[in-house]
Amino acid sequence: MSGSALMSIGMRAMVANYAALQTTGHNIANAGVEGYSRQTAELATSEGQFTGAGFFGKGVDVQTVVRAHSDFLTREAATARSVSSMDSARLESLRELENVFPTGETGVGYAAGQFLNSMVDLASHPADDATRQVVLARAAEAAGRFAAAGSQLDAIQATTTENLKSSVTAVNGLTSDLAQVNQRIAALKGLGQPANDLLDERDRLVSQISSYLQVTTVPADDGTLGVFIAGGQRLVLSNQASPLSLVPDPEDPSRSALAINDSGFDRTLQARTLAGGSIAGLLRFQNEDLVEAGAQLGQMAAALAGAVNAQQSFGLDLRDPPGSGAPMFAVGAPLAIPNDANARDAGGSFVSSVTMTVTDATQLMASEYDLRADPGGAAGAWQLTRRSDGLVRTVADGDTVDGFTLDLGAPPPAATERFLLQPVSRAAQDMRRVLDDLRGIAAASPVTASASPANTGTASVATLAVVSGTIDPELTANLTFTSSTGDYTWELRQRTTNALVGSGTATWTAGAPITINGVELQLNGVPNNGDAFSVVKTAFPASNNGNALAMVALRDKALVGRSVLSTGTVGGGQTVTDAYASTIARVGVRVQGADTASTISQAVTNQAELARSAGSGVNLDEEAARLLSFQQSYQAAAKVLQVAQSIFDTVLGIAKA
Amino acid sequence: MRVTTANSSDRSIATLQQRQQALNEAQAKLTSGKKMSRASDDPTAAARAERALASVARADASQRGLEASRNATVLAESALGDAGELLQSARELTVQAGNASFDDNQRKSLANAVRSLRNQLLQVANRGDGAGGYLFGGQGSAESPFVDAPGGVQFRGTEGVNMAASGEPLPLTADGNAAFLRASSGNGVFVTAAAPGNSGGAWVNAGRVVEPSVITGDDYSLVFHVDGAGNTTFDLLRAGVTSPVTDVPYVAGQAFEFDGMAITVNGKPGDGDRFDATPSARDLSVFDALDRLANDLQTPGRAAAEVTQTVQAALRDIDSSASTLIAERARLGEVLNRTDGVEGRIAQGKLLAQSERSAAEDIDMVQAVSDFSARQTSYDAALKAYSMVQKLSLFQYIG
Repeated sequence: MSGSALMSIGMRAMVANYAALQTTGHNIANAGVEGYSRQTAELATSEGQFTGAGFFGKGVDVQTVVRAHSDFLTREAATARSVSSMDSARLESLRELENVFPTGETGVGYAAGQFLNSMVDLASHPADDATRQVVLARAAEAAGRFAAAGSQLDAIQATTTENLKSSVTAVNGLTSDLAQVNQRIAALKGLGQPANDLLDERDRLVSQISSYLQVTTVPADDGTLGVFIAGGQRLVLSNQASPLSLVPDPEDPSRSALAINDSGFDRTLQARTLAGGSIAGLLRFQNEDLVEAGAQLGQMAAALAGAVNAQQSFGLDLRDPPGSGAPMFAVGAPLAIPNDANARDAGGSFVSSVTMTVTDATQLMASEYDLRADPGGAAGAWQLTRRSDGLVRTVADGDTVDGFTLDLGAPPPAATERFLLQPVSRAAQDMRRVLDDLRGIAAASPVTASASPANTGTASVATLAVVSGTIDPELTANLTFTSSTGDYTWELRQRTTNALVGSGTATWTAGAPITINGVELQLNGVPNNGDAFSVVKTAFPASNNGNALAMVALRDKALVGRSVLSTGTVGGGQTVTDAYASTIARVGVRVQGADTASTISQAVTNQAELARSAGSGVNLDEEAARLLSFQQSYQAAAKVLQVAQSIFDTVLGIAKA
Repeated sequence: MRVTTANSSDRSIATLQQRQQALNEAQAKLTSGKKMSRASDDPTAAARAERALASVARADASQRGLEASRNATVLAESALGDAGELLQSARELTVQAGNASFDDNQRKSLANAVRSLRNQLLQVANRGDGAGGYLFGGQGSAESPFVDAPGGVQFRGTEGVNMAASGEPLPLTADGNAAFLRASSGNGVFVTAAAPGNSGGAWVNAGRVVEPSVITGDDYSLVFHVDGAGNTTFDLLRAGVTSPVTDVPYVAGQAFEFDGMAITVNGKPGDGDRFDATPSARDLSVFDALDRLANDLQTPGRAAAEVTQTVQAALRDIDSSASTLIAERARLGEVLNRTDGVEGRIAQGKLLAQSERSAAEDIDMVQAVSDFSARQTSYDAALKAYSMVQKLSLFQYIG
């Protein structure tokens, strides 16, 4: 046993405690660094030396520096973070979207209502230019609000695309960093000691990527970490990162889709395969929330414009000579977008095309449709899927569905080709008032109903509404009641020649309109036997307000989203006011739902982060205690060295003496 | 569980921010007075408020429609009052014309006065509503609804009334045709008239209904015979056919009753003179009545019986027209009455909609103030706790 043994023990103890102090200092220094895992110097007792008197300890060794780390908790925290950033990205976008549908006087619904309300004044003064001016101004205001809301939606789409672009750029930067860190870790793997700070760095990168896109990680034997997205697409493998890019959606180029570069090819990823991360949130917002909002706005715009234009065409304007009213509004045309994969000719244009014609704007649904060849393979049959509720129908060329007629051009699409139909998605954006002539507003009804002055019953004309474009004002309808229980005879005569065009008998029931020559005549009271009513061409259009009254009645008509009922009649639907109110409520509910989801996922993230940091984080008080304890150990070790030296000095003193 | 310094600090700051945000929201609600600044705050209430707002706007529009109707109705009602006064004057002139001492010239000046009244009446009937329309334009008319055409005043318009868009049906115009041109002729059931070319000096009154249930609605005639002895008798013809009633002795001024009607012939009928009673129709034009009166009064050299007949017929027609005008005026008065009711309902509906909107949007101040102070307290407590906890560190004690 040499005298240097004690010195050696003291030395080793000093080194070991110094290492522990250094690690503690590192912990204190990194206490505030995100993703840092607390490190500990692991000390171990050196193997004792055997002598005849037994084993003598040789002091302490620093074995390694380990980080306090749990793979599971780290992964949980990253996953929770990806979900919460998906929810918060969607929530932020939805809050933007909500601004497009304001409540109260600034909303689209109010403007549309005020336009119809201005018809009340037109009914009071049908020939007054000032009143007509107000009607046109209100029409422009309503159309302008729709168009503004539409362009706000476009702006939100543009912002979303920009956000997606910058997110994709950020992810690409992070993945290439991660690939480099992977490479360095693999290089250091041979040294046999864990590269703690690099591993922390890598976990931090994974966590940051997770906030954009939810990933799954698979560690490899060489110490690298494989990162995968969308159920198995390789994002980072070893030191190779696959760059992401933002491409136009193959179904609708105005929207964006995420693509991953796979061996030199951009492979488009389905948005629904992305489980979390802000990119997934933005894509979901773009593909669901924004599409639905646009379709609802467009549906209202198209329905209002369609109903008002139809009513215009039923009436007489004030021009000379009076004619049926010209359209008041124009809206964006329906779009049929060929899938990017559809066949193209040499010039790059699509070979086949589909067009849509709106036949009844009030039956349009707030939805997009997928059109594809019938999976059953029937010739000439197509499968039309309504996206809003997933209703699948089989249609043929020329069929009318949900208020529009399909026209498959020549040559008809091939069996593999697909189209995305947007009957209303662009309606609001391009809505404008197209009637500029004051006298073009059709306030008058083309026909006037009057009761014969000789009538003895109590019946009077309640309303007269033109309900069909088939009305011929040149025909005079005469109704004569032949009993006091509602039986009547009718005849249609040419106005000028008095030639009989048609006649018949029918029975009137109270409350039910009498339909003749494309008009509906509603009577109040009860007609007596012999009472007569006539519907004749309006002689003085300037002082007739029949059509203005019909416009006023549009306020209470279900114009939006009517559908063909099981009885074969068209019914259902909502008034413009109700449609806007329910759109507000729907968007509001979406925001509310997203807000709740975001709050919950944020709480989960906080909890996961708390759990992770409870194991891995630095507690300064703890480090302070360790600092004190290692400092004392270091001082003790130094004392050992001092003793060893004094022993050595003693031996040397003997030699001197 | 280990508490880690950085995480606990992060969480504390996040909590402080949440508290501050909650306080800010409470403050914003308190200052704006709205519990709902965006639809997502309460989607159902937002939809409710939106519908209520539409109802308010609609009530305002209905009120404007109602004002238009009321304006026109008030004007039409007063015009009918004017027309009634004109007719009253015409009636006084007619009574004067019956004065047996008047000569042709005096009657002619009365005729001129009647013409003037008739022209004034035409002005009243063509009165405008102040907004480019006509009070009595019906369902639409030409430049002015009543035109002085050859053969009498005509209604150049469509019968009926235009309705205002006032929520409940209210008229915007009055039916001039019904008011001025569609009075009942005769006494409302039948019309008596002396046949043209009667030679004697007799006249017939307007007649009256004695038994409404047996009125037949046929044409009747009384044909008089005067024999050589000067005895006057008459036959009753029904629908042009001689009835069983023949050779009734004539007594001047005595009512003759048949089939529910009673007519009185007065004066001295000539042989072959005829008096007709035909069913009444709603085709009496007040203008035609006045025209006839004026023309008859202007015709010189008429016998006293003819003048009396003219006066009788004119009084009858003027009264019938006046009662039609009064009925129309009463109807307009009823419309005004109803207008007030409709106005009340519109105002009530608007009030309901406004309170509905307020209930959906506006805050309960008491609750908002209490919310605010609760949040203030919790923020205050969070700040204090943070500052106290942050001071605690072992490093403070390491010398």
